[in-house]
Amino acid sequence: MSEDWSEAAVDYVQAIYDTKLLLGHRYAQWSLSGPSLEDDIGGASAAQEEIGHVRQLARELEEQGRDADWLSGHRDPDEFANAACLDRIDGEWPTYLASIAPADRAAWYLIDAIGRDDLSGLITKMGEDEYFHLEYHDARLETLAAEDPETVQQTLETTLPQTLALIGPAAYDEDEDPLYQAGFTDRPIAEIRESFVQHYRDLFAGTDVSLENVDWDAPALEEWDETRRRVDTGSISDTDVEQLRGEANELFAMN
Amino acid sequence: MKYEVFARINQGDDTKHIGNVTAESDRLAQIYAHNTFNEEDWDLLAVARTEHLLEVTGGRPDLEVVAHE
Repeated sequence: MSEDWSEAAVDYVQAIYDTKLLLGHRYAQWSLSGPSLEDDIGGASAAQEEIGHVRQLARELEEQGRDADWLSGHRDPDEFANAACLDRIDGEWPTYLASIAPADRAAWYLIDAIGRDDLSGLITKMGEDEYFHLEYHDARLETLAAEDPETVQQTLETTLPQTLALIGPAAYDEDEDPLYQAGFTDRPIAEIRESFVQHYRDLFAGTDVSLENVDWDAPALEEWDETRRRVDTGSISDTDVEQLRGEANELFAMN
Repeated sequence: MKYEVFARINQGDDTKHIGNVTAESDRLAQIYAHNTFNEEDWDLLAVARTEHLLEVTGGRPDLEVVAHE
């Protein structure tokens, strides 16, 4: 049994877990819809890795008292704390890429900031997988920024603030971030945000995608739901939850 | 662009041609090769643009079909 975490720490890891659960789901949904066979293979590979990460994080959350069935999807849609940009993806391939890429990067930054020695092996392994996810996203976004800058820009204007809400409010600096203060993380939220914002500013500098209209200050602290790490009351659909639970495949369950 | 993919399992082994990928950039080609040919724990996995290969021998086989034969 590992040491008990604070409720805020459990919520923090739960939001990473739910974001990765949805990332795995969205990768799988789109892995036969890519513009090339290599994109499909990459999507399927990323889906498997995300689900692997989810299973590892589930063990940690179960040790902190979270119910296994609840974690695996036996809950209401509004109990999921995934990045809001993964609630639904209405659009084509550029919209999909500009939705999942920020969420995957943010989830990794949040994991990487966890400063606990007992999780360092797990985090290192996840980082090896994430390196290729994030490199792929950036390379693909660069090509899409040349092919369809308007769609990429419009999507990012929505998905970047939603992803910043997953990371947390700018007000959580060294003095204010409760998880940093408690020693659960070794980087305050304000610092994680800075790295995230600078990454996308650098990535799109010199392209036809302008990030001038992105609300880089989101979320406002007073509007932020600390448990679900978002500002809106939206959620994934009932259909998504049914698919995550695997109800249609119950016949094939091993137990 | 088409890229040829080369790999070796152990340091010191011959580096062999194992396939190809099509990608819009060098960076994407590296990631595509990683995902497509990840069946081994490679010591080296590399891509080279097909157009950069300098032909020494060989060449395109004659595929012409002669109707009157």
